[in-house]
Amino acid sequence: MARNDLQGSLDLLVLKTLAQRNKLHGYGIVLHIQRASDEMLQVEEGSIYPALHRMEQSGWISSEWALTETNRKAKYYRLTSAGRKQLHEAEEGFEQLVKGVRAMLRYA
Amino acid sequence: MALLRRIGNLFRRSRLDGEIDAELRAHIEMRIEDNIAAGMTPQEARRDALVRFGNPSTTKERAVAADASLALDNLWRDIRYALRQLRKSPIFAATTVLTLALGIGATTAIFSAMNAVLLRLLPAANPKQLFFLHLPDDQPYGAHSTGDSETSFSLPVFRVLRQDRRAFSEVMAFAPLGGSKVAVRFGDGLPEQAAADMVSGNFFSGLGVAAATGRMLSMADEDANAPAAVLSYAYWTSRFSGNQNVVGQTMSVKGIPFTIVGVAAEGFPGLEQEGPTDLWIPLQRRAELVPWGNSSDQTLYGSPDWWCLRLLARLAPGVSAQQAVAEANASFQAEAYARIAAPNAAHPRISLSAVAAKGMMGLGDFNEYGQRIRIMMALVTLVLVIACSNVAMLIVARNAARQREFSLRMALGAARHTLLRQLLAESGILVVLGAMAGWLFALAATRALATWAELEMSLGPDWKVLLFTGTVSVIAALVFALAPMRSATNAPVTFALRTWAVTGHRSKRGGSTVLTVQVALCFTLLTAAGLLLRTLLNYEHTNLGMQTRGLLVFGITPQKEITDATRLRFYQTLLQRMRALPGVEGATFVGARLGSGWSSNDEPTVDGLTYSFSQVPLRTNVVGPDYLRVLGIPLLEGRDIRESDTATSQHVVVLNETFVKRLLPNKNPIGHQLGELKDHYTIVGVAKNSKYRSVDEAPRAMAYYPYTQNDDSRSTLQVELRTNGNPMAMLPTVERAVHELDPDLPLEKPMTQIAVFEDSYSQQRLFSRLAMFFALLAALLVGIGLYGTLSYRIGRRTAEIGIRMALGAQRRQVLSMILRESFQIAGAGIAGGIPLALIAGHVMGSILYELKPDDKLSLAAALVGIVGVSLVASFNPVRRASRIDPATALRSE
Repeated sequence: MARNDLQGSLDLLVLKTLAQRNKLHGYGIVLHIQRASDEMLQVEEGSIYPALHRMEQSGWISSEWALTETNRKAKYYRLTSAGRKQLHEAEEGFEQLVKGVRAMLRYA
Repeated sequence: MALLRRIGNLFRRSRLDGEIDAELRAHIEMRIEDNIAAGMTPQEARRDALVRFGNPSTTKERAVAADASLALDNLWRDIRYALRQLRKSPIFAATTVLTLALGIGATTAIFSAMNAVLLRLLPAANPKQLFFLHLPDDQPYGAHSTGDSETSFSLPVFRVLRQDRRAFSEVMAFAPLGGSKVAVRFGDGLPEQAAADMVSGNFFSGLGVAAATGRMLSMADEDANAPAAVLSYAYWTSRFSGNQNVVGQTMSVKGIPFTIVGVAAEGFPGLEQEGPTDLWIPLQRRAELVPWGNSSDQTLYGSPDWWCLRLLARLAPGVSAQQAVAEANASFQAEAYARIAAPNAAHPRISLSAVAAKGMMGLGDFNEYGQRIRIMMALVTLVLVIACSNVAMLIVARNAARQREFSLRMALGAARHTLLRQLLAESGILVVLGAMAGWLFALAATRALATWAELEMSLGPDWKVLLFTGTVSVIAALVFALAPMRSATNAPVTFALRTWAVTGHRSKRGGSTVLTVQVALCFTLLTAAGLLLRTLLNYEHTNLGMQTRGLLVFGITPQKEITDATRLRFYQTLLQRMRALPGVEGATFVGARLGSGWSSNDEPTVDGLTYSFSQVPLRTNVVGPDYLRVLGIPLLEGRDIRESDTATSQHVVVLNETFVKRLLPNKNPIGHQLGELKDHYTIVGVAKNSKYRSVDEAPRAMAYYPYTQNDDSRSTLQVELRTNGNPMAMLPTVERAVHELDPDLPLEKPMTQIAVFEDSYSQQRLFSRLAMFFALLAALLVGIGLYGTLSYRIGRRTAEIGIRMALGAQRRQVLSMILRESFQIAGAGIAGGIPLALIAGHVMGSILYELKPDDKLSLAAALVGIVGVSLVASFNPVRRASRIDPATALRSE
């Protein structure tokens, strides 16, 4: 079972982002999350890095240094197969959570 | 592995710091660029970027924590979890740790002995440059030698070699002052014994051994043959408690006064393989202090053709040992033949060789010892393989039994690598505990080994051994990590939750293969142990050609009698006193103690015709009257040496049957002449062959001279007493009688003659005991492995057996099914083990005594051993299987 807390949600967003793109640096992930959620999800941008490093240590994502379009060196992250599986589980977990919350709201 | 990467991260902190900094900086800078592109001023863009980012240093700390501290946290959690799991199955944990400890410990102990004997370098500066000089073809013909003929050099040869610095930058000479310890005395104290060497002046400087206190010997000491002595650090600390005032005091060595000038650096035990040297003095001129201590007519400086010094050489820079020997050979040969007959066809020119100064090799006949140790190392490695495979099987079986647990945990969301990490932690803990226990075991074992082998040297483990044990343990840990990985990752989540009677059959074949290999190795070990045991028995039951029971032997060195005449008178009186003792049936002398490894050798001249040593090596000994009768050696023809054979009577000699067969065949040997014309001996008797140097020597031509007519090694004689009871019980009586003659005279090494011969194969005894211990250990491990596997399989097949029995199978059929399984493994193992055992026997050929490498009895004994182990290991599982009740078995599933 995935953890249904805020950290779990951030993980889910990052994993989902990386699942849609081949590889992305931290700033790119932040931009993507902000754009895709219509600026609704505002996280402190720095807080994504501890999450990225933790996920890398857990083997869900891998990283490499590469040049950006503006020729700047940046660390790019990529989803691993373990990460893909994790994303799948996290999505399911989140659906469960949402269903649970919806059911609660309906009968409350 | 994520775990390893994390641990690695801990040590790469600074580099990681830099990487994280760069990553965060890139983020902020990209945001600033985008802000400027969106129309902000640089200052605004920067402030906005920082506000959006949050506190960079906190972010960095948290990212670092994610990288590193998480690792420790997880590691600690894994270890705690593993410990908890192991505590739940204490028998499994104890068996594993004990098996590993025995395997690793035994291997470490033998490796440390091998390290000390074969590999350890001298405790000197640049020890890899040091080589012992050798003479593979012995001394040049016509030279006299004392010590080991392969390593003895003359003083002039030594000086020539030392002078030529192109090949060897230093050549150092050394020789013991006596065959064993010599008498020393400090101040007015009592006489005591110490191991002393005489050495060249450049001995310590050439080795690079400094003084702990005082000074070391110098070239000036050698040139002056100075009365200066240097103590070893160990002797200084044990005898004088490290007292600084010892330096400058006088002492006496064999009655000659010396001044103690210094103490050698700690950890330098000298170069003698028999044991540590206590003190060193410079080369001496006087007749009392000569190398080996037992020559009456030769002195170091007065006898240029006396080969008695051992040489250690340091290679000149940039010269290989081969080049150096080639370079030094010409001047060596020129000096070697300077005063004696030039080499000819019968006695070819000898040349130098160099042997790396490693371990105890290079001195004496330690080559055979090295060979034995290598064989022991090979045998103990087999034990280690069996032990490790046993542990691997145990772990696999345990994990197979836990498959349901793994599947359950994986179904509950545990990642596969988490499981693996925990299994790895379990294996790691087992290996670490096993290796630590094994190390302690090895420490104790090496101490015991040194005592049994009667080596006064340290066999103790050093860093090289530690490295070895570490490597073995890491390999073991990796093997055990791989084993559970297979069974754990193969655990199918969906299937494993079903009834699990179906799983586990897959690993059956793997288990049987491991067991078969184990049986094959065990068979090899049993055969090797059998061969060595039979060798030992052959030593014990060798016909020595004499009656050793009841014989007491001790050495006597007359102190006050200096001249030949007084010495002879002393010996005659001593013999009369000994004969008169109650309980003594006969007494005689012998020059070289039988069975001690010492011998005198010569080239025979029969009726004026000389045979070279390589044609007919002649062994000689000087003996007292009634020698053959007292020792119980049968006389074949003529007469024994008699009391009437005195210094002035006709010179006579008694031969053995091998001599007669080789040099006087089909003749009556009595009356023929042995020796050069001017100094010949008339043959008066022929004795049956008997053992001389050692038990395992082949019969050689032998000549017994009366001690009265041959002054060879007359300074010390061995007294042989035939007693009619326990020889050692006679000792006080004998001692009293000797002291009545001379109160200062000690009995040297009094022993029974049986014990002397037994000591001559003490190494063989030690190694055959070791081999037996290894074989028993292997048999025990294989038995445990077989027992465990069979019990496990029967446990797994309870249902199957129940069904078979319910369908009408007889109990007998079930039993034979299980026994068949056990014997199939044993049979396959023996089939694989026979060629292995034959190879092992072949390799061991050189250390076997009167035994063929393919000795049928040893092979048969090994076979019986394996069958026995299989039967014992199957007994309990078979009994359990026979008690299976079909109804209960079927219900339990």
